Amino acid sequence: MVSTGSRRLPLEGVRILDITVVWAGPYGTQVLADWGAEIIRIESIKHFPPTTRGMMPYPDRNMPSLGGGSAQFPDHEPGKRPWNRWASFNAHARNKRSMTVDLRRPEGQEVFDRLLRISDGVMENNVPISMERVNVTWERVHEVNPRAIMIRQPAFGIDGPYKNYRTFGSHMAAVVGHYSFMGYRDEDPSMTGNTLTADAAGGAAGALAFSAGLRHREKTGEGLFIELSTAENFMTYLGDQFMDYSMNGRQPGHQGNRDPQYAPQGVYPCLGDDRWIAISVQSDEAWQALAGTVMQRPDLASDSRFATLAGRQEHHDELDVELLTWTVTQDAIEAMNLLQANNIAAGTVMAESDAYADPHMQARGFWEELTAEEVGTHLYTSTLWTAKNTPRRHRWGPPRMGEDNEYVYKELLGFSDAEYKEYEAAGHIGMDYDLDPGD
Amino acid sequence: MTLEPTSIMPLDDVRVIDLTHRTAGPFGTRILGDYGADVIKIERPETGDPTRSMPPFYKDEPGLERSGLFMFLNTNKRSMTLDLKSERGREIVKELVKGAQIVVESFSPGTMDAIGLGYEDLKKINPKLVMTSVSNYGQDGPYRDYIGIELNLYAMGGSMTSSGDVDNEPLKTAGRMVSYHAGYAAALASALGLFQVEFRDADGDYMDVSIFETAMHSIDMRLGRLMGYQYTGHIGTRPGRAVAVGGGVHPCSDGFFLMTGGPRFIPNIIRMIGMEELLEQPEWGTAEGRANPDRIDEFLAHIIPWTLERTKEEVRAACEEFAVLGGPLNTIEDLVNNPQFVARNYFQEIDHPTTGPIKYPGYHNRMHREGVDFPKRRRPPLLGEHTDEVLSEIGLSADAIAALRKDGVV
Repeated sequence: MVSTGSRRLPLEGVRILDITVVWAGPYGTQVLADWGAEIIRIESIKHFPPTTRGMMPYPDRNMPSLGGGSAQFPDHEPGKRPWNRWASFNAHARNKRSMTVDLRRPEGQEVFDRLLRISDGVMENNVPISMERVNVTWERVHEVNPRAIMIRQPAFGIDGPYKNYRTFGSHMAAVVGHYSFMGYRDEDPSMTGNTLTADAAGGAAGALAFSAGLRHREKTGEGLFIELSTAENFMTYLGDQFMDYSMNGRQPGHQGNRDPQYAPQGVYPCLGDDRWIAISVQSDEAWQALAGTVMQRPDLASDSRFATLAGRQEHHDELDVELLTWTVTQDAIEAMNLLQANNIAAGTVMAESDAYADPHMQARGFWEELTAEEVGTHLYTSTLWTAKNTPRRHRWGPPRMGEDNEYVYKELLGFSDAEYKEYEAAGHIGMDYDLDPGD
Repeated sequence: MTLEPTSIMPLDDVRVIDLTHRTAGPFGTRILGDYGADVIKIERPETGDPTRSMPPFYKDEPGLERSGLFMFLNTNKRSMTLDLKSERGREIVKELVKGAQIVVESFSPGTMDAIGLGYEDLKKINPKLVMTSVSNYGQDGPYRDYIGIELNLYAMGGSMTSSGDVDNEPLKTAGRMVSYHAGYAAALASALGLFQVEFRDADGDYMDVSIFETAMHSIDMRLGRLMGYQYTGHIGTRPGRAVAVGGGVHPCSDGFFLMTGGPRFIPNIIRMIGMEELLEQPEWGTAEGRANPDRIDEFLAHIIPWTLERTKEEVRAACEEFAVLGGPLNTIEDLVNNPQFVARNYFQEIDHPTTGPIKYPGYHNRMHREGVDFPKRRRPPLLGEHTDEVLSEIGLSADAIAALRKDGVV
């Protein structure tokens, strides 16, 4: 649906201080920024946050593994300020603002308080010890601004023996049992790779938590503290597997790409290099359509061994070979369209190039072009959903570190030019890192 | 508008008419219920939501009140049956919509319009209504009517292209990642729409959630790689086995452990396994040396003997101590005994006539308010358990309800 609306974005006028890192937290503030919230990222030129704005501040373009892959930088070129050119950051930072302050010093703490008094809340997803060091806790936030909402989203929550256990989404997935199901059949988990779905789930949860906090605040006049463990939140994504264990004591192993209810099902190679299609036969009729109509194999369609789900499960390995024999002669996109036209569940494993070229995404206006300084003009994913009466439209591209310092210090906090210069000289305000030893 | 100032949960004066079924939509309304909304789940008479007939079943015996999938997805909801094919059934939906703030539905695109319950119909009854539709590909576009299931939606929209091993086929993720992410989007779309109505003095809105799009929008691998492709033309591959020195899935005495390697972490890993002398050698003492992928196998020979002597929880504790990133590959059984989740009292025991009290995953968040006890989750409803209750709330007499039941409307 292409939105025809023109009214204000729902969160216009809502200001959130963003101390999020890496992915889960920033994804949450991305969604809120997309719908109009003023997200002010609080960064520091004295401290480089690894993975958030790159793996290291000045990576060598010739050593891609040091920089997390030069594929992360436009034209493989880290440039003078690599942290402004890092794909993983820029992918989520559109519509946000960035300011710098060193929260480890008293005058930085003062800036934080002044900002907090004119904000609706704070979102952060750091390991608790990091926030305790700079005294960004609920007690402090609530004291400074009783109407403020705070979302704290450490991987494992703010207490318990894992309180300060640092992880990425891939490790949280391990901890909550994801890889006990995800993996190649009859293989140990070493080839599974890893998934960062915990971050996506956590981001959505954080955005919803803040929205719920806003409503609570409007109702009661009081702020709200919501704590969200990204790992606990992600465990709910394995709800039915958990229930099977709870009800039946069962812990199934790796299913590969198969499914107990559908057969054949798998991911099969197509024409070209690393081209694949996912196919799932969900009924006896779908099998007839696949074998008889699409693959033109009446011998398979009439073979009684394959007429039922049980039979197709029993002969799955054999059927995989028959399907593959057909798919390797097919273009991955054309095969998807042909299979879907015959009511068979199928989808191309879309590489990045497929995603941008996809006619459906284009028809629905899913890609939006934005220009960012030091980066260039690129396409960005649009909003997480379309609203009929509210425009689906980004406002600006990802901010360079410190890009909004003048706006925040002068317009919002009323700093004079002299005070601004003073904070610049003191290493709070800037657009380049001035790292302390050890950072 | 006037709001109840003494309420406990953020959404506890919000009514949601839930016309969703299967997994994505019900996951979304489940979350709204967890935030306190009164979710009225409308199910078709006799058979109910199709997930009632989907595994896993309690003791593996199928039955409408035995599905673990249904139970997981439908806590904190009320269930009423209603035949939407009947004129009277549709009138009752309209009656319910008058007193509701949110409608969430997940029928095939066009279905709600065809039965006279589309957004254009419902907003005439309640201009402040927020209506959210969840569908596989969205309400329009060339794929609108394509079949969508976890597997192919993850292939198309999600990060399957970077999932698994480079020498093998792309690998499906576990669980219902794609559906549930769309469920979150539906809950969030509904909540922001409501915010706009209540606090921005706006009319209602219609939200179109496409599972294909929410997967493509997900920060899971996909988002960074999509941007990286524009930057360099680089097509991402599947990582599979160790991609950096020290990283990979290492065997332990009781399972496996996923560890992140690379030049930044190797010194910490080396200290963790007690081989500090390695750092004095030029090939390990410099970042360049540690980045050399030829060293992957060499380093595995150092680390695997160390991990094999330890349990995965011991390796985890060592990682925390030495600032190494990693995580144990747990099973569900490990989880229910895990010291962290047990200490935080994460799991919830919920009683149900079929299963008796059993463990469920807990709330996805914790609200901290001094002196406020938050309500426990209510068990998943039996099919039509609240039909009479809901109908009497909209003013139907016992006789009128009996007549509806006789006619098969409820």
